[in-house]
Amino acid sequence: MRNAERLCLAHFWVAFAAFLFACAIGTWQMWVRSPLGANVGTPGQYFMSVTAHGVSMAYVLTTFFIMGFGYFVAVTALNRALPGKLWAWAAYWVALLGVVLTVIPIATGQASVLFTFYPPLTASVWFYIGLVLVVAASWIWCVLMLIAMTQWKRENPGRPVPLAMFATVANAVMWLWTTVGVAVELVFQVIPAAMGLVQTIDVGLARTLFSWTLHAIVYFWLIPAYIAFYTMAPRAAGGRLYSDTMGRLTFILFLIYSLPVGMHHLLMDPEHGNATKFIQVLLTAFVAVPTLLTIFTITASLEIAGRLRGGRGIFGWIASLPWERPMVLATGLSFVMLGFGGFGGIVNMGYGMNAMVHNTSWVTAHFHLIFGGSVVIMYFAIAYAIWPRLTGREYKTLGPLRLQLWLWFIGMMVMTLPWHWLGLQGQWRRVANFNYADPIIAAWGPWVVVSFAGGIILLASAVLFVANLAALHRSPALGIVRPLYALAVHPPLRVPAALNGFALWNVLVLVLMIAAYGYPIAQFLIDPSPGAIVHRVR
Amino acid sequence: MPDITPRPSEPHVLDQPWRMWSSVAVVGILLSGILLGVLVIPIVQGRSVGIDAYTAICRALGILPGSPAQPQSPTPLPGIPVSQVTWTSDLLQILARADVRRGHAKVQEVCVACHGEKGESIGVEFPHLAGQSGAAIYKQLFDYRTGSRAHPMMTDVAKALDEAAIADVAAYYAGQPQRNPNLVTMAESPPAIVQLVELGDPKRNIAPCSSCHRAGAGGPIETPVLAEQRAEYIVQQLKLYASGKRRNDVYARMRTIAAQLTDEEIRGLAFYYRAGFR
Repeated sequence: MRNAERLCLAHFWVAFAAFLFACAIGTWQMWVRSPLGANVGTPGQYFMSVTAHGVSMAYVLTTFFIMGFGYFVAVTALNRALPGKLWAWAAYWVALLGVVLTVIPIATGQASVLFTFYPPLTASVWFYIGLVLVVAASWIWCVLMLIAMTQWKRENPGRPVPLAMFATVANAVMWLWTTVGVAVELVFQVIPAAMGLVQTIDVGLARTLFSWTLHAIVYFWLIPAYIAFYTMAPRAAGGRLYSDTMGRLTFILFLIYSLPVGMHHLLMDPEHGNATKFIQVLLTAFVAVPTLLTIFTITASLEIAGRLRGGRGIFGWIASLPWERPMVLATGLSFVMLGFGGFGGIVNMGYGMNAMVHNTSWVTAHFHLIFGGSVVIMYFAIAYAIWPRLTGREYKTLGPLRLQLWLWFIGMMVMTLPWHWLGLQGQWRRVANFNYADPIIAAWGPWVVVSFAGGIILLASAVLFVANLAALHRSPALGIVRPLYALAVHPPLRVPAALNGFALWNVLVLVLMIAAYGYPIAQFLIDPSPGAIVHRVR
Repeated sequence: MPDITPRPSEPHVLDQPWRMWSSVAVVGILLSGILLGVLVIPIVQGRSVGIDAYTAICRALGILPGSPAQPQSPTPLPGIPVSQVTWTSDLLQILARADVRRGHAKVQEVCVACHGEKGESIGVEFPHLAGQSGAAIYKQLFDYRTGSRAHPMMTDVAKALDEAAIADVAAYYAGQPQRNPNLVTMAESPPAIVQLVELGDPKRNIAPCSSCHRAGAGGPIETPVLAEQRAEYIVQQLKLYASGKRRNDVYARMRTIAAQLTDEEIRGLAFYYRAGFR
């Protein structure tokens, strides 16, 4: 176990170092976009900073956190040693090498292409090679998760895989499917273009392949939060999980409906027909189902806990929940942000409303609220929950932890709600600065300043988060190790193979992917479009 | 306390209905999506605007252009492009395979009198070509040849060159080393000019010059290198753009910008670029 703890901590500290750095430059970006910092820095510096922020948050924080958390779950939920520990360490070092290779071209201004892979703009080839290494390392993680579950099932025939591990493997399987799109785009299109082997690139094909990855990657980041909702929050609240089956169904629905839906990111693109867009938007609507299932199940689980603690009446159980515990508090705050963010997501999903918000700040605000808010606050809660086990030490007081979570929630709401509003006003995204001398833009100014204030609160929260974790390394030794994972009200004694593995679901994903992406990708090969000239950032 | 120890399940009993009903549900949702998206909606939309069912379905699938919900407007008059140059991968191959030696010979025969053998022009009204982007030289010569750009001398010169010779000449001049920065003109430019170059002027919708003209900025491929160019030439060209007499800039990018520059700014920018980059 000792070695596994070091493995998890090594992953988490890379993730959180990248997170702290990205928060700092994110705050700088909020400043230079506001009237207070207008004309500070050049557009080149701004886009370099946005690239570094996006890559750190979207690829480094998430991938390292998810890998570390997966190893933790594989050891603690299955209660057995991690298979292939050497492979896990090798994957860690490969991913770290990938990060270094990616950071160098960003820092030298040779990769200011933001964190999305939209040619014809291409960065230094090292930027892409670095990111491919990070993804390749995460594939090793996926295989290790699959092996851990398979070995456990062999040792425990007929028994249901613990929900936390089932969900982790669902995420690994989804990630293997997800990364195919971007891997094909990078290996066959972007990297040859960045190396100068080809001079033109089929932009429509590249965007389509990226859309394959683009939505499911968000669920890859999100699933750890849902694992915490299902397996940790009910226990932390002093209750039980309302339904284990509901949990399994949720993660399965994420697996099948996060993939054939990416084209809703291309609703304004001309390279696809209306019918394809319609089918994918319809399937997108089904992504709401696992989230609604989760809201219901977790609320029910918390109600059980609240009533066990003496809560009475329709809402009395809410007040009686142990809100002083970080996991419970984070779950509550996350749900509030999920409510606002989910509503925004439904707006983005509709073709007509998407047309109005597509190139505005609304979209940027949406993904900050839903990922940076509801998901990342659960990353904090998970880190707080498992850090005592990883370090063998316990918190002297939970006060600073609660303060940090509240600051993150308040900061995120203060930053993103005005940002959404600005998007509705027409504030465009992906621009380096605004001309506040223009009267229309000047009217946005106060809201941008409020947003910036939210950014400062978030930075303070990020610093406190890292300080809280660092402080634990010097705290007194842990007395009692409390159980982490929640039992279900009716613990599953037997589950059908469909809810205990992924064979059936992989077949269905294949069917859905062929239906959703078969012709849309084939059309580029049947009737190739004129290529766009590659623009290399040097 | 009830016994909640997990016991081995009997999965086979449970498996069959799960496999069947989940497949039915997932495939059923998919098929209803296909039915609605590919057949029902396009046919209904098409009927309301007089498009036959087959055309509407093909449009919905993206096999035919246009939307199933809108009649395709009658073909408009063909637009007249400001330049006949199309940056296809074939053209990029022609540029990549250009012969510098043939280009040199052609330069000595035709261009040397004004632009110099090494690309250093002999008079202030002629641009330096040493180290200029090959794509930029190609585009301008081709535009002279097709009449997209006009000049008393250059139009006839370019018409006498074929496409391959244009590519050769462009490659030859592109390969010549740029001139050394002129220390006399390296004096600091006024801050307002530096700001125009680096930040532009959003109030007047002027993009920063450097967003295209900085090396590696990622602007259009035909963007010329401006460093160490003749100031007089830059002034003359910006004024031609401003007046609309020169109009071979795609999307009227330079016409839009130049029309908003004051004479003083035009002079300032010309001197900034004559000095080269710092």
